[in-house]
Amino acid sequence: MNAPFFKYGLFGDDVSLVVAFIIGIGFGFFLERGGFGNGRKLAAQFYFNDLTVFKVMFTAIITAMIGIYYLSVIGWMDLSLVYLNPTYIVPQTIGGLLLGFGFVIGGYCPGTSCVSAVTGKIDGMVYLLGIVVGIFIFGEIFPLVSNFYNSTPMGQITLSQLFNIPYGILVFAVVLMAIGGFAAAEWAEKKLGNKIVEP
Amino acid sequence: MKNIFLKLSMNKKLALLAFVLGLIAVFAGNPYRGNSVTMDTKELALIVDKTVDHVSAEELADWIIQGKSDFKLLDLRTEKEFNEYHISSAELVPLAELNEYPLLRNEKIVLYSEGGIHSAQAWMLLRAKGYKAVYMLFGGLEEWTDKILFPRIAQNATPGQTAAFEKIKEVSKFFGGSPQVGGTAEEVSAKKPMPKLEMPGGTSAPTAGKKKKKEGC
Repeated sequence: MNAPFFKYGLFGDDVSLVVAFIIGIGFGFFLERGGFGNGRKLAAQFYFNDLTVFKVMFTAIITAMIGIYYLSVIGWMDLSLVYLNPTYIVPQTIGGLLLGFGFVIGGYCPGTSCVSAVTGKIDGMVYLLGIVVGIFIFGEIFPLVSNFYNSTPMGQITLSQLFNIPYGILVFAVVLMAIGGFAAAEWAEKKLGNKIVEP
Repeated sequence: MKNIFLKLSMNKKLALLAFVLGLIAVFAGNPYRGNSVTMDTKELALIVDKTVDHVSAEELADWIIQGKSDFKLLDLRTEKEFNEYHISSAELVPLAELNEYPLLRNEKIVLYSEGGIHSAQAWMLLRAKGYKAVYMLFGGLEEWTDKILFPRIAQNATPGQTAAFEKIKEVSKFFGGSPQVGGTAEEVSAKKPMPKLEMPGGTSAPTAGKKKKKEGC
């Protein structure tokens, strides 16, 4: 999901690295300010004590979705230039579950572990080290798993194409999902949270 | 109505805003532009007029020999023709698939077809879609065959011509061609089969099915 300015040809490879660097710093800064550099806060969502992470992520999704949708509809942006990761449904489901396990056990996801590590938290550094070791192992065994890695390809598909419904309706459906999710999250925090005492 | 809205908490106001924008989206239509474009015909005409829109066979040969990789070479002919012969490092993109082919707006794209007509038409399509650095191989593959693969020199050539021929001979050999002395173009290309694809250029492995560069988060 890259910004389309690079593909419009507004700048080349070198400048795009600088832009990525600046965006990365900004991303990390706001994650930290949101409290996402703290493993306890991140893990609290799994106990329904604090669903900030869920709310922030879903807010980001619908903000970006509505922004991109309207910018494209009024013609300021060419949506076909925005890169879509191709879908490989089975390997990506397994990968998602693995990431989920790692998130619950370690208290971080890859991005937040970097934030945590640079703010001097030892658990974040250990987590980051684990990521590097994991990447190395994955790279080494890749020839063995490459068939699985490339199995069940579905191409660069969107939900709209998969279910054959217009984009506008999908946008509305996701917004409804988000609002429902926020309401449910607030409810869960009140009803189900605080039952497990934080260590 | 206004008072009710003002009394809501900030979160609820934002949720309401998202709801309204989502509701409008249902009627606002498809965000993808599809295949229609607007183009500045005057600007394109000026570019064509200045003939800065093509590269010669010799230039392209030089780029390939130097191992330049800052451009994409697209072969617009059929798969059958592509498999018989193509310029090394070329990627097969039939004209009808050009719209879906992953290209960047800012990369240098060189197009060629058998003659020059298809590549000129494809050039126009890509320029209209906003690709800035699109070039065609002047004279197409026919010119490439004449100038690079089977260059020829008359028996009674001047010293200047001979020197130029000596240079192009090396280029020709690099691409697996065979330089000719004497004879006319027709005789030459009728006699000689196209070079095998495993030519010393090295990089002629079929690249059509090549996977797109990985990118993303």
